[in-house]
Amino acid sequence: MTSHDYIQPVRRILTEEDLTRWQSSESYNGLVAFIVRLADSVKGKELGTECELTPSVKDILKVLDSIQTIIGRHPVVTDKDISRFGKVEFRDFYDEVSSSADKLISLIDKTSELPGVSKELKVYLVESWGNRTRIDYGSGHELNFMCFLYCLYKVGILDLESDSEALVLVVFKKYLDNMRILQTKYWLEPAGSHGVWGLDDYHFLPFLFGAAQLAPMERMRPSSIHIPDYVDMFKDKFFYFACIDFINQTKTGAQSLRWHSPMLDDISGVKKWSKVAEGMIKMYKAEVLGKLPIIQHVFFGSIIAAPEGVSATRDLSGIDEEHGHIHIDHDPDSNLHLNTFGDCCGIKVPSAVAASAMEKKHFRPVPFD
Amino acid sequence: MPSLSTVLTATRIIQDVKRCIVIPENDVRQLCFLSQELLMQESNIQLIDTPITICGDIHGQLHDLLTLFRIAKDPPETKYLFLGDFVDRGFYSLETFLLLLCYKVRYPDRIFLIRGNHESRQITSVYGFYDECLRKYGNANVWRYCCDVFDYISLGAYIMGASGESGGVFCIHGGLSPAVEKIDEIRLIDRKQEVPHDGSMCDLLWSDPEENIPAWAISPRGAGYLFGYDETKKFLHRNNLSLIARAHQLVMEGYKEVFDHGLVTVWSAPNYCYRCGNVAAVLTLSDDLERTYTVFDSVLQDCNEIPSKKPVADYFI
Repeated sequence: MTSHDYIQPVRRILTEEDLTRWQSSESYNGLVAFIVRLADSVKGKELGTECELTPSVKDILKVLDSIQTIIGRHPVVTDKDISRFGKVEFRDFYDEVSSSADKLISLIDKTSELPGVSKELKVYLVESWGNRTRIDYGSGHELNFMCFLYCLYKVGILDLESDSEALVLVVFKKYLDNMRILQTKYWLEPAGSHGVWGLDDYHFLPFLFGAAQLAPMERMRPSSIHIPDYVDMFKDKFFYFACIDFINQTKTGAQSLRWHSPMLDDISGVKKWSKVAEGMIKMYKAEVLGKLPIIQHVFFGSIIAAPEGVSATRDLSGIDEEHGHIHIDHDPDSNLHLNTFGDCCGIKVPSAVAASAMEKKHFRPVPFD
Repeated sequence: MPSLSTVLTATRIIQDVKRCIVIPENDVRQLCFLSQELLMQESNIQLIDTPITICGDIHGQLHDLLTLFRIAKDPPETKYLFLGDFVDRGFYSLETFLLLLCYKVRYPDRIFLIRGNHESRQITSVYGFYDECLRKYGNANVWRYCCDVFDYISLGAYIMGASGESGGVFCIHGGLSPAVEKIDEIRLIDRKQEVPHDGSMCDLLWSDPEENIPAWAISPRGAGYLFGYDETKKFLHRNNLSLIARAHQLVMEGYKEVFDHGLVTVWSAPNYCYRCGNVAAVLTLSDDLERTYTVFDSVLQDCNEIPSKKPVADYFI
């Protein structure tokens, strides 16, 4: 690729019709195939297995290490106001990742051969860690990390032949480690949580990859997630058990998964891990990639192209939550006193014009409860 | 006065819900119809007198609701106002809502319900209540019956003290709306609909107070507004109020007063989602509107599970 015009990724999926177009788009199919390929590559493989790391994979690990260092630089200090669940220092962490995004991307050596690629890559990388304003995290943010890796594959920096296994067992593992630190340190709220009726408060993919790891296992059944010794023995080897262990540690007030995680309890009744693995992919397509409240936040640029015929971006309206920060002083024509927080970009404030444009549009993203 | 058959049905369902026995679909339908007839007669803003115990979000945490009733006494002994968000996230949203409806049809003057942002088709289909009904019944009928009731739940309440001297208390799930200056304006809303995406009805159910802003700002939730000190003070003054009591936000201590004690958030779901480690609270207002907060913690749940009609999601078959 000599001169390619990279563009600022924007959100494009707004309506149910857009969602339908997305589900039959090339971008959707490519992303699904990428995730399935990654899952297939770890069948029967344990975490901690020696695997070859190509220079690009090592570079991505450097990025993730740097992000871990950034987390370390922002301790939680404002414990005096304990009313809010999420810790506000998360915003400082987020801002540092955001402001050093270009530098982080440049750690991946091969990006220097693709001028401008950072413009797209950094959106997915920054979005991977949660929402700055709401201090929350969910499977949509996790999806952004997959988009980040998918982009690196699409531009030729990653090679599925040589990198798939390491992308799951090492890179995704490292990402998950960082997320666990963020979730526990800053008390990230679960974004769009279905409560007990979801698979997990935060993640989906470690269950999908974890079930793939376990798929060839004939003797150990999915019901073994209920046996504490098994969880203890396997939590460092398989993502699925690591997640169960995390849930057991963080959920209190009920003795069994049945109460706080009935979905996982149900799935543990499935006879074979291979069935769980297949089911996870179907479920991911339906519950994550097929859900408007999640997909309305997916970004499209030149690498992950917007499906044909979907709505124009809503990100130019100024309502956008994280990008293109717009600050507008009090508008005399509006009856709203538009004020921003002292800490800059605390809460997005739209212009009155943009706000009334939104009024006219009937399509509104599903709000966060 | 509720009819004898209503009393009998409600009493039976109350007993069954407390024992976590599954309520047959037909009984749910009957109860929902009875509730609709009752709720549609209530005005958008209900006038309630003291003493009253005000409760915040419950979110399907039936065991904790039962604890609440144990500590603050079952209706009709105590008069209650629930500020909405009965459903979603918890294991027993359906049973929680049915229990409250049973008490409502059994003791209509001793328990009052107002609508939360989760009492909506769109939100319940995302945040768990729909999934729960589907899993428990194998179809979405009971979810539909409940959603039809949601549309009739009133929007707020006004509590006046017996003395009538100090300003009253305005109760709402979320908070203020830039489109509402006087409480009376809320009476004009046609509330019998799905919660709209914008406008005053939406704001009342979605807005949040924010200490760091003076007036209005866009809410990071994507619905409703953030409202600050100045707007709250003006609203209190304009409507001769001493307090706005609302729910809608998790507060670790169960309740939190802000804006010179002019607004309180009450949260009644302890250890929210089995993970937050928060305590819960209810607010009791005496005849002279004196505030007493009762704080309670979650209990280890020990009742039978409602059997599942649809044990494994289709994806895994």
